[in-house]
Amino acid sequence: MRVEYINPFVEAAYNVLKEVLNTEVHRGELYLKSTSMPVLGVAAIVGLAGDVEGRVLFDMTRQTAIQVASTMLAGMEMEPISDLNDMGKASITELANMITGQAVTKLHNLGFKFDLTPPALFTGENMEVTDADVEALIVPMELPQGKLEINVAIRERA
Amino acid sequence: MKWNNEENEKPSSANVRTAQRQGFSTLAAAYAGEAEAEDRETEEREKIDFKMVTFALAGKDYGIDIMKVKEIAKYGNFTYVPNTPPFVTGVYNLRGDIISVIDLRKMFNLPAPQKAQGEAQDGLILRLESNLIGVVVDHIDRVVGIASTNIQPPHPIFADINIKYISGVVEQEGRLYIILDVERIFQREEEKNEPPAVRLTTAQPEPAAQPSVPTPSAPASETEFDFVRESLSTFDVFHVTDINEQWARERFEQWRSSRKTAGKPIQLSTHEEARDFVKSFTSECTGAFWDENYLEKVEKVLPEVNVGTVHVWNPGCGQGFESYSLAVLLKRHYPDKQIKIWASDRDLLSISTAPNLVFPRNSIPDYYADFIVEGTNGMSFGEEVKDAILFEYHDVLHPNAIPEVDIILSRDVLSFLKESDQRQVLTQFHEKVKSSGVVISGKHELLDTLDGWDRVKSGLTAFRKA
Repeated sequence: MRVEYINPFVEAAYNVLKEVLNTEVHRGELYLKSTSMPVLGVAAIVGLAGDVEGRVLFDMTRQTAIQVASTMLAGMEMEPISDLNDMGKASITELANMITGQAVTKLHNLGFKFDLTPPALFTGENMEVTDADVEALIVPMELPQGKLEINVAIRERA
Repeated sequence: MKWNNEENEKPSSANVRTAQRQGFSTLAAAYAGEAEAEDRETEEREKIDFKMVTFALAGKDYGIDIMKVKEIAKYGNFTYVPNTPPFVTGVYNLRGDIISVIDLRKMFNLPAPQKAQGEAQDGLILRLESNLIGVVVDHIDRVVGIASTNIQPPHPIFADINIKYISGVVEQEGRLYIILDVERIFQREEEKNEPPAVRLTTAQPEPAAQPSVPTPSAPASETEFDFVRESLSTFDVFHVTDINEQWARERFEQWRSSRKTAGKPIQLSTHEEARDFVKSFTSECTGAFWDENYLEKVEKVLPEVNVGTVHVWNPGCGQGFESYSLAVLLKRHYPDKQIKIWASDRDLLSISTAPNLVFPRNSIPDYYADFIVEGTNGMSFGEEVKDAILFEYHDVLHPNAIPEVDIILSRDVLSFLKESDQRQVLTQFHEKVKSSGVVISGKHELLDTLDGWDRVKSGLTAFRKA
């Protein structure tokens, strides 16, 4: 993945998570992966198009998703949730949208033009994501609510 | 089935040295009990006609034909023998017979947990056609009876252990056992070394297992070179293959004589020594701007390009000094063409600084003067050059979207990859480079030792598709 793209995503994820959840966020070591990988249970995906093609995947366990959504809702003085209902799913989707949106804004300021697709949320047990031919950058984020993995796969249009 | 091989090996107390017997105990009783159970099972299920002793190496299950196993053993004190390959744990006094003991994990480059000194280790004593030999394993599991028709041929996927040492694979109760062909494993050793057991019967066993310094007087031989080659890949610093073997051999001769003079062992025993060994491998102008001498050599092998854009692939670009050097050279050589360099590295720290490389003015040859601009932090390249290079955080073993290219610049990259990975990357090179294009490799990397590549006549290691 193009070096210039890395920081905007890492910074956006860090800033948005810290602000929305109002908590300490730890970034793990970045690494590359190109094999199919398991999805922890809840995955939000945002597609990217423009100068590039790709997608960003936000992956966490169901428990983490419930807690993250609850924290977000509490911040807006709403009731926390105990299972992943429509409100919870909408919160996670929104989080994915905010992070990707901020990253794309940063990239735009650097002169790269990206468009976003509306986010989609997947939930289920034993899911796996396979996209052959794409190398993904993994940005692990440690939150008090659990681990959130951001999986960014972008490639230049040749 | 009769397999109690013990009877003719009854120890006569006269030749058993009690000191050496400590820490050694055969588990013959438990072994026999298990065998009876197995025998009953045989009656129930006619098909069982192959029994193996199973054990673990680095957490995986393996088996050895029970007919090859003389005893199950617990090894206590070994006698260390100098100047042997790293996988030879030492010699052992088996009731008067001196046998050599090999650590199977080290032999197959598997991780072996460090045991505290004096702690007994699990192992087997094998009766081979020619001699007895001891092996050390993680732990012994049990005896398993199977139908030999269920044994399947080994699959190349078992990369931990060279496939020619595997006689088959069998599944039993949900576990997959890899059956080792011990005759073949140790036959190889005897071809390569003198048979250890023969050589060692005359050695006086020393009382302690204190490693002494190996004597550096062994003659130069293929074996020694092989050890160095294996150590290099064990430390994962360098992988000797056809493309760099010529250099490795020359370097080995040099190394051998310098170590001899210094009175040090030839074998590489630490990571630092391994790195020291390969230090002289790097090509000229590595990790720096190319000087005019090297630029001139590269210019001579540049291919003729008929289309509007010159495409270049530069895997392993590090901090980008060489990518910039090449970009400037290409700008000058092909003034009316677009230049597009795909530069990548899997080291995030190095590649992060590449797109905005800054350097002091006096660090760069005049050749580049027209293309650099002064910034607040120092000198850097102008937009014209920067736009020509796309730096990517990318692992060359992963898929990429790079189009067909005119030039591949890959100096001293292949040799640091595992042999199988080297092959994978070379296949990629072959696919991606145009038939008119060139691959520029490191000074000591000769691609024409492989099929499919021809060397371009020049003062450089540059190659074309054959």
